Amino acid sequence: MPVNVVDTDRSASRLRAPLTAVNRRLSTIAAGRAWWGFAAFLALMAAWAIAPDFFAPYDAERLDPRNRLLGPFSDSTLGSHWAGTDSLGIDLFSQMVQGARLTFYIAIVATLLGTGIGVTLGMLAGYFGGFWDRLIMRLGEAQTAMPMFLVAILLLSLLGPSVTILIIVLPTLVWPIFARVVRAETLQIKQATYIEAAVATGCSTPAVLGRHVLPNVVPRILVLFVVEIGHVMLAEAGLSFLGVGVQPPDITWGLLIADGRPLLTVAWWLTILPGVLLSITVLSLNILSRRFEQYAGAAA
Amino acid sequence: MTAVEKTSPLPVRPRRGRTGGGLGPLLLRRLRDGVITLVLVVAIIFILAHVVGDPALVYAPIDATDEEIERIARNFGLDRPFHERFGSYFADVFTGDFGESMWQQRPALQAVGEALPDTVQLTLVGIVGAAVFGIIGGILAGSRPGSLFDRGSNFLSVTALSVPNFWLGLLLIVVFAVQFGIFPTSGRIGPSSIVLPALTIAIVHGGRIFQLVRSATVEEMSKPYVRVARSKGFPHRRVLWGHVLRNTGLTTATIAGWEYVRLWGGAVFAIEYVFAWPGIGTLTINAAHRQDFFVLQAAVIIAGAFVIVANLIVDLLYRVIDNRIKAS
Repeated sequence: MPVNVVDTDRSASRLRAPLTAVNRRLSTIAAGRAWWGFAAFLALMAAWAIAPDFFAPYDAERLDPRNRLLGPFSDSTLGSHWAGTDSLGIDLFSQMVQGARLTFYIAIVATLLGTGIGVTLGMLAGYFGGFWDRLIMRLGEAQTAMPMFLVAILLLSLLGPSVTILIIVLPTLVWPIFARVVRAETLQIKQATYIEAAVATGCSTPAVLGRHVLPNVVPRILVLFVVEIGHVMLAEAGLSFLGVGVQPPDITWGLLIADGRPLLTVAWWLTILPGVLLSITVLSLNILSRRFEQYAGAAA
Repeated sequence: MTAVEKTSPLPVRPRRGRTGGGLGPLLLRRLRDGVITLVLVVAIIFILAHVVGDPALVYAPIDATDEEIERIARNFGLDRPFHERFGSYFADVFTGDFGESMWQQRPALQAVGEALPDTVQLTLVGIVGAAVFGIIGGILAGSRPGSLFDRGSNFLSVTALSVPNFWLGLLLIVVFAVQFGIFPTSGRIGPSSIVLPALTIAIVHGGRIFQLVRSATVEEMSKPYVRVARSKGFPHRRVLWGHVLRNTGLTTATIAGWEYVRLWGGAVFAIEYVFAWPGIGTLTINAAHRQDFFVLQAAVIIAGAFVIVANLIVDLLYRVIDNRIKAS
């Protein structure tokens, strides 16, 4: 019987082999090329965030009422405004460049905090099970059951909107996702024979978690981390759009969209272009994470 | 050592005993969990409002003097000891007394209760649309990884979930309401009002459901039973919609449910605000602009309770669909 099973398996994989090879090549080519383009875009955004003054053609605070609401690709006495100008005549492109720094800063710091909390709690919950598992998962559930937008609005009307409050609120959005994923992975991993062996040879619990469980969840964490930076970015944009996130005179892309909204029918570019920029950034992060996922899958 | 016992790689059978295995005890247990979660939610809000912030400052007008603020604090019983305040707060909340809305001149609960059905309706229509997009697309794409359809739909879905939901709403307004005039821009005028906000939800959340269903399908397709079914000569369609759909069904149901809960975590409120849909989101944001704390608090707790119930239903469905999962 066992011989039979092996045989079937072999012939099946032989049949599938050519098709899989072609498919793999196709997806590698597509993903490979896309990956470089999006990575380059992210690198450019990072450059904007690091040295905005180098990339912004104009002062993002300089008013020029004579040249207000210029459409994309128009010229003023200053020069060309390829993204147009806003209702005060400020160059939109310069504002978008200036907005990159805070947008990335908030997203990365908040996601890092959320990842740290989520991974630690998820591993503890998955490994120990029982009381800790229920406590942590219920905390996560309570967190998820709190519509975070409403909670954020509640918090911000109590404490006043600020970047610091945002960085405290946003991780609460992501940690339950990390905790769930890591817990599920840990549940599987701890059934593996090598964990049993590690425990049997007298490994301490922190050693088992740190050396044997953590490295095996890292690929999943990495993939999730990159995706969640995008989600946090979107959440920050949403909160800023609703007027409870970042406040002027700070600039983020979400805030730029909010600023443009009242003029949507008159000057569409003020709303649409910052949104396009934000979308491509989040898209790049998503593509990049899928690339990591492929590598992680190949390594496993 | 106990860890070794627990993690024995022997086949796991549904355990009966302390935890019980039937749906009835499970329902009871999950209900208990839900109540505990709700108490946690209320406690967190109390802490946010009364410890982190000063409620008297919130209730008081902006130009209030110190004496006025003190008087307000006395009126609300804020000078009483902490545990007394905590107790009476819980008593109020669980008897449905959320305070009076200063803005709408009526109980806050009433204002939220009126908005809740609209939000529920919008979210349900939106998530059904998202599930239809996601499941059909995901299984078709996942069954032939690397095909043109797979790559195209994949890219579309990644794009869909990279787009800020409120911005997508604005884009749809510009295109379908302003440019073509097919649907109303905002508000709730007739049945067609729900189309654009629901479509926004369906696109954004359909993208994520697609992604997860697709990867579940890809994984499932590489399993031996699919090969066995194929080598037995079952047609592709039957393997797909019979075997694979059933085996990814658990994942799919959980994904759709999780996605629904996630929708309540934020997206729907921003989308409501964009379309001026008369639901909880629009109410809450307007209340925030008017510093109406009672409505804010009522909205968070009611929406929280709703999500807990939704979670419970998703969890029960999860068990019903695949009763091989041991009740833990």
